[in-house]
Amino acid sequence: MKKVLALILSLALIAALAVGCAPKPTEPAVSPDASDPTPPEAGGTLTLYTWEGMFPEEIIAGFEAETGITVNYAVFDTDETMLTKLETAKGGDYDLVIADDYIIELAVGAGLVQKLDKSKLSNYGNINPIYQGQFYDPADEYTVPYGAGVQTIVFDPNFVDIPVSGYADLLDPSFKDSVGVIGNYRVINGLALKILGYSYNTENLDEIDAAGAKLLELAPNIRVIKDDSLENDLISGEITAAVMYTSQVTAALLERPDLAVVYPAEGIGFGVMGSFIPSQAPNAEAAYKFLDYILDAQRGAECFEWLGYYSTFSASDAYISDEYKPFLTLPAEFGETEMIGNVSDEALQKHELIWTAFRDAAGK
Amino acid sequence: MNRGRRRSSVIAVLPMYLFTLAFVLGPLIYMLFLSFESRSGQWGVTADFTLRNYTRIAEPLFMKTFWNSTKLALISTVFVLLIGYPFGYFMARLSKKWRSVCMLLLIIPFWTSALMRLYGWIIFFRANGVLDTLLMKIGLIDRPLKLLYSYPSVVVGMVYVLLPFMIYSVYASAEKLDWRLVEAARDLGASRFGAFRTVSLPLTAPGIFSGVILTFVPSMGLYFLADILGGNKTILVGNLIYEQLMKIHDWPFAAAISVVLLLLTSIFLFAYRRITKSDLEGLV
Repeated sequence: MKKVLALILSLALIAALAVGCAPKPTEPAVSPDASDPTPPEAGGTLTLYTWEGMFPEEIIAGFEAETGITVNYAVFDTDETMLTKLETAKGGDYDLVIADDYIIELAVGAGLVQKLDKSKLSNYGNINPIYQGQFYDPADEYTVPYGAGVQTIVFDPNFVDIPVSGYADLLDPSFKDSVGVIGNYRVINGLALKILGYSYNTENLDEIDAAGAKLLELAPNIRVIKDDSLENDLISGEITAAVMYTSQVTAALLERPDLAVVYPAEGIGFGVMGSFIPSQAPNAEAAYKFLDYILDAQRGAECFEWLGYYSTFSASDAYISDEYKPFLTLPAEFGETEMIGNVSDEALQKHELIWTAFRDAAGK
Repeated sequence: MNRGRRRSSVIAVLPMYLFTLAFVLGPLIYMLFLSFESRSGQWGVTADFTLRNYTRIAEPLFMKTFWNSTKLALISTVFVLLIGYPFGYFMARLSKKWRSVCMLLLIIPFWTSALMRLYGWIIFFRANGVLDTLLMKIGLIDRPLKLLYSYPSVVVGMVYVLLPFMIYSVYASAEKLDWRLVEAARDLGASRFGAFRTVSLPLTAPGIFSGVILTFVPSMGLYFLADILGGNKTILVGNLIYEQLMKIHDWPFAAAISVVLLLLTSIFLFAYRRITKSDLEGLV
């Protein structure tokens, strides 16, 4: 028995080696001005629930000073955590939530979101209509988009000799072992669907299979698949082209303005972060005030520069500085756009399969 | 032993048993339970009974990840053995002072997280990194090798992380070795190698066996190495489980893969027990 225990303990020790990669601990809810000895005049509390680092401090401080409302910034790691908590709270506890498009569709479906009273949002007209009427809120009843991720191709012109205009160019043999992609299977599988002219959200299993075959053509060019700091590999020259998250594109371009960004000819995919007021929000009034505050053209621009995602307020585009403009605002001319939405279980399983086959082929 | 003392010893070990039951057995049962349910919606689980998750593992692509993991574990174990055995063996022959110095040097790296140490390897391997620069300065290569995000760099990471376990096991066995037996063999005319082969090697074999099991079993689970040093291109069982849990949110399938992995490692451990007829040397 003693021996068995000793064995278990030693294996546990070894297992402890592996915990280094455990997900980041969830940050406790903090109020940015918790250290402020003189809280503003009573205006209630706004409980904001979103990822870490979604707003510059000046914006939150400015809002608190102007309205006297205290912002309680609660943080989640993943959209799923948010929805679970919101379900547990039955749509209460939080006044304003900002999360990804696909999860909002589910939250709306679960009756956890209240309809917006647009009369309370004087700056509502500032929203860029491209980001409105999308699958998660077709009639624009529930959400205000706050920042968008737009799928682009970034490459290093110093090492790339062929013209790059779309995803299909990444299949070129000259990119052998030089392309980095994020580990988001819907985005990367979707890239192959787009090359073939299919929809991101196709539920036709044959089309997904065909995309899988296309991905196998891309596999020899793949050097790395990862979600975290892929931009560093592009900056350091480890890879010469990448398909990555918008915030990573922004980080890469700020560091290396000589990198080139291409809007894929096959069509632009994008994702939107949307803000919504939960059905039982304790202080919905404060949420309206906050939304209207950030919807202001100039403040919006400030937020998007901080956030590193595309501006979803057309009125803000003009205020975004020239340094950021090329990668935070959409160009005047661009092709078709499509969002990645939720698909059937069968389609998802097919996606998993072609994704695993793709990664496996990339390793050869 | 009288009843009173027996009762107090039961009380003393009770917390440990309760802890094990609650935090080891409990999750295991939950995982087993989960593996027979089905997924619902984006990440939910519906209570029913299905073998679908297990039949899905039979998909050749998924079966291959088990083989990938076993192959990588085998390769790493061979390298760890080749490096770790001589190290542990000769460490046992050092003077007491140098032995403790060696031991200390082996233990110090454990004070930092394995992940941090692996990032060190990234700096070493990456394009125009330490190794590239060094080789280019010497004139061996004229442009950066693509070392990072390759299979060999995963193996190097594996060997690096697991080496100490082999060294400890071999050392523990070699330290107990009665060197007079080796001297006797030499006196009786055995060559240096002959004495090693017939005396030292069989006597340190238990250390080798436990070292192998201590390397092989955990290497089945060190999936994050394939992730950060291998560029996520070598799919190990661990990567598959991680992906199912964190990205695809198919918990029942992840649970089923975990159950199969658990069975597989149990078989390895069982085989070890049958072959060596002992528990792990150097650990007990």
